[in-house]
Amino acid sequence: MSVFYDKFNRHAEGAGLKGNSTHYCPGCGHGLAHKYLAEAIEELGIQDSTVLVSPVGCSVFAYYYFDVGNTQAAHGRAPAVALGHKLSNPEATVISYQGDGDLASIGLAETVSAAQLGAPITVIFINNAIYGMTGGQMAPTTLMGQQTATSPDGRSMFNGQPMRMAELIAGLEGPVYVDRVALFDAKNRRLAKKAIKKAVQMQVEGRGYAFVEVLAECPTHLRMEPADAEKWVKENMTPIFPLGVKKDLTVEPWWKRPAPDFEPAHMLKAVGASQEATNRHAEAFPTHINPLDISLKLAGSGGDGAQTAAMLIARAAINEGFDATHIPSYGPESRGGTSYADVHVAKDEVLNPASPHPDILIAFNAPSLAKFGPTVVKGGTIVYDSSIVKEVPAGIDPSVKVVGVPFTEIAVDLGKAVVKNIVALGALQAATQLFPKDTLLAAVRQALKDKCALIPLNEEAFAWGVKAVEALGK
Amino acid sequence: MAQLKERPKPFLLPDYCKGCGRCISACAKGCITFDKEIDAATGYVPVVIDLEACNACGLCMDACPEPYGLRETPADVDFELQDPAKLFGGKKSTAPTPVDIPNQRIPLPKSEPLVIKGNYASAIGALLAGCRHVFGYPITPSTEGAELMAKLLPKLDGTFLQAVSEVATVNHMYGSGGAGYPCMTFTSSPGFSLMLEGVSYMVGAEIPGVFVNVMRGGPGLGNIAPEQSDVKLACRGLGHGNTHAITLMPSTPQEMLDLTMLAFELTFKYRNPVVILGDGYLGQMTGKVTLPDFMIKPGIPTWAVNGDAMHRGNLISSIYLSEQDLEAHNVYLNDKYRRMIEAESRCETFMADDAEILIIAANTPARASKGAVQDLRQKGIKAGLFRPITVWPFPVKQLAKELAHVKQVVVVEASNGQLEDEVRLALSNHGVTQLPAFSHVRHFGGMLPQQTEVLAHIQALLAKEAK
Ligand SMILES: Cc1ncc(C[n+]2csc(CCOP(=O)(O)OP(=O)(O)O)c2C)c(N)n1
Ligand code: SF4
Ligand code: SF4
Ligand code: SF4
Repeated sequence: MSVFYDKFNRHAEGAGLKGNSTHYCPGCGHGLAHKYLAEAIEELGIQDSTVLVSPVGCSVFAYYYFDVGNTQAAHGRAPAVALGHKLSNPEATVISYQGDGDLASIGLAETVSAAQLGAPITVIFINNAIYGMTGGQMAPTTLMGQQTATSPDGRSMFNGQPMRMAELIAGLEGPVYVDRVALFDAKNRRLAKKAIKKAVQMQVEGRGYAFVEVLAECPTHLRMEPADAEKWVKENMTPIFPLGVKKDLTVEPWWKRPAPDFEPAHMLKAVGASQEATNRHAEAFPTHINPLDISLKLAGSGGDGAQTAAMLIARAAINEGFDATHIPSYGPESRGGTSYADVHVAKDEVLNPASPHPDILIAFNAPSLAKFGPTVVKGGTIVYDSSIVKEVPAGIDPSVKVVGVPFTEIAVDLGKAVVKNIVALGALQAATQLFPKDTLLAAVRQALKDKCALIPLNEEAFAWGVKAVEALGK
Repeated sequence: MAQLKERPKPFLLPDYCKGCGRCISACAKGCITFDKEIDAATGYVPVVIDLEACNACGLCMDACPEPYGLRETPADVDFELQDPAKLFGGKKSTAPTPVDIPNQRIPLPKSEPLVIKGNYASAIGALLAGCRHVFGYPITPSTEGAELMAKLLPKLDGTFLQAVSEVATVNHMYGSGGAGYPCMTFTSSPGFSLMLEGVSYMVGAEIPGVFVNVMRGGPGLGNIAPEQSDVKLACRGLGHGNTHAITLMPSTPQEMLDLTMLAFELTFKYRNPVVILGDGYLGQMTGKVTLPDFMIKPGIPTWAVNGDAMHRGNLISSIYLSEQDLEAHNVYLNDKYRRMIEAESRCETFMADDAEILIIAANTPARASKGAVQDLRQKGIKAGLFRPITVWPFPVKQLAKELAHVKQVVVVEASNGQLEDEVRLALSNHGVTQLPAFSHVRHFGGMLPQQTEVLAHIQALLAKEAK
């Protein structure tokens, strides 16, 4: 059996007897399950592609014995670790070997979700109805009435009833093969060996997730001789945990994953990096607004397009070779609710991206104008939607230029209310001369490069925003 | 060797028998019984087999739980030979010695700057660093990172898995990183705390992995607004045990990309997780991001459990059962931490060379502070900024040097003193006990200190001094 190390070097450095015997108690079912698993790996010829995930529990040291790639996982997390291996390395055969405390208690979420995901991994589940390693405490699989260190008077209704994992897993859509086997007599040992091999084979063939529950003996914590423990499992466990195949689907091999792509061109395309330089239109930084760093705030409610407009301003500035930032802030609602954007445009570097005292405010509704109007700096500019805001509130510094443009009416007239933010951009441009018109329009076109049909409408919206301000003579 | 076809009879070295008796009940012919005496070497009573009566059915061997317990009698060995070394032992592992498959640096053509959010920038940084395996569980304000990965990774034949929880996430990373692949996650404070169990295991087992924690307001569910609430967690509390991880604090979308790339380099260099602490603002903030002129195609390190022949002999585990071994492992880990402290302490200064008032701040608060420094300089006040880029290891040598000309330190942060504690602890450990006056501007609960507040605080300090 070459899948076992010839010497268990990890066990007490392989010294003395421990170099060739397991750390399990005499008669422990783990040893048998190990043997059948090693034989399966051997017979399937997959020693060089197998990763075994050892759990927490008595089999925490499974890696002492198996001459395959080994990973030891945290209590209950073995299926998640196994998936990490399998998804990174689709060719590997990944086997998660777990006890009942590990699989059915602390790691229940990882167990169920990995099974439902259905990726081909193999889970070998040792159900000995008790916690071995920590000294015989109650497991989720402990039988009713069974005395354990933490159910000294026997498991009662107060502790809930034993968990039937094979049935639970078989009830999920993900798994292709679920079986429950036992080790207490020759016939069942043969079936156990077959089931373990089949569960690994299902993975090797790329057919899907497979789960084998093994009813195993823990003579130590049952406080029995191994022969009596075999009898106990047969007589007491099998009525609660009926043996046999719970699910065996005919699934064609489907698991195939390509090797990751490291082609620079694909990378640049995926992230939307353009190699085409954008034209510059601005002659200089708009120092007439602020010499180094212009701060803007766009405020409205979700759906007004404040964030998109903010993004277009930032993009326009960056196209011109300036620095820019945009910070969105929303209410907790997914739709509607408040929606504010802080934008900075800086000659060299935006130092502080927040706009508590903006040079420019674009307000899409009355609450926004009321809230932020008074924060605009002396000599700043406010552009607001006069279709929505009927009265300019008090508290705005008299030096601030306040321009009302009917964003919504213009947009509705153009046939698409959603372009009101582009009307606002036109108005912004006309009211502040932030950038040349082409700068903003180029950003709009860039944003719509995949929806070219919308470009003329947006250009028109922009032009109407400009015209509306010009008509006001401001 | 005439009768090769004959089924082999069972064979047992009494020293490898634990006397469990499972073979006894397995033998229908009743050939196996317990020996009369306890084996002196094992303390167990082994079995004896009556090979005369045995029909070589093999059932006893199937029943023996020991790999080297009851076995088939080796055909080609003299049965009398009782020397285990000659019987079974001595086979050398057939696994080849693993060799490092190094990373490849692939040139990237120049492109126009991207205008993207911090979260996106970090995701793109990870892709450029060669990461094709991303695991995560959605949490605001970090989700855009995972969303972009879910969109882009299929195009690059990579894998994004939405895990069932943060607990599962970090364990997917444990498997993926353990297999030698660059992997990462995006999370935010409540998610990061759930991952810490796994982070500790990764540190113990020396597994690389990058954690982008876009911090939000706590404790508990708190809110989704920016805070620097996890500085202490990252610096002093990465799960149980003696853990540390390089913790980077970017302050711009560009740095979200650059430091994510750096994080991948460092996580493999040290075989240790690396944490990126952003704040909620930074994750959501859009800015100008220039791509580097290269990308990485990762290799496979020698230590990986890669599920192939070459790496078969490897083990990923954090178990050191003997106290001496665990102490030795911790001495080794601590030495690694010391090497990180020596080589990876990073910071940026802004007008700090002659500063008399030095602001210390990281993430977005550092940007507000930078603005304040500019305001103060315009007013002729000698202010400067010291921005730790690694908060662990804290760049204390660099800071200590600046302190020579500093009269006042002002720590600006979005937490109740977590950064200031790191500053003070680092200085104290560094032997700096004569500190300049310390004061601070703090907000927490999801608010960030504002430029105007920093400015006002420092002006008030100066006014007090003038009196
Ligand atoms: C997070 C965590 N909680 C608790 C433990 C302690 N612990 C170690 S083994 C174990 C029970 C294992 O029982 P089981 O999975 O049934 O395996 P067995 O020992 O029976 O083979 C527990 C609770 C741990 N190691 N980690
Ligand atoms: S305690 Fe039980 S499960 Fe653990 S090794 Fe002993 S017999 Fe096996
Ligand atoms: S091989 Fe069969 S007959 Fe012989 S000892 Fe074993 S179980 Fe008994
Ligand atoms: S089953 Fe194996 S370990 Fe148990 S008594 Fe028989 S030979 Fe010994």
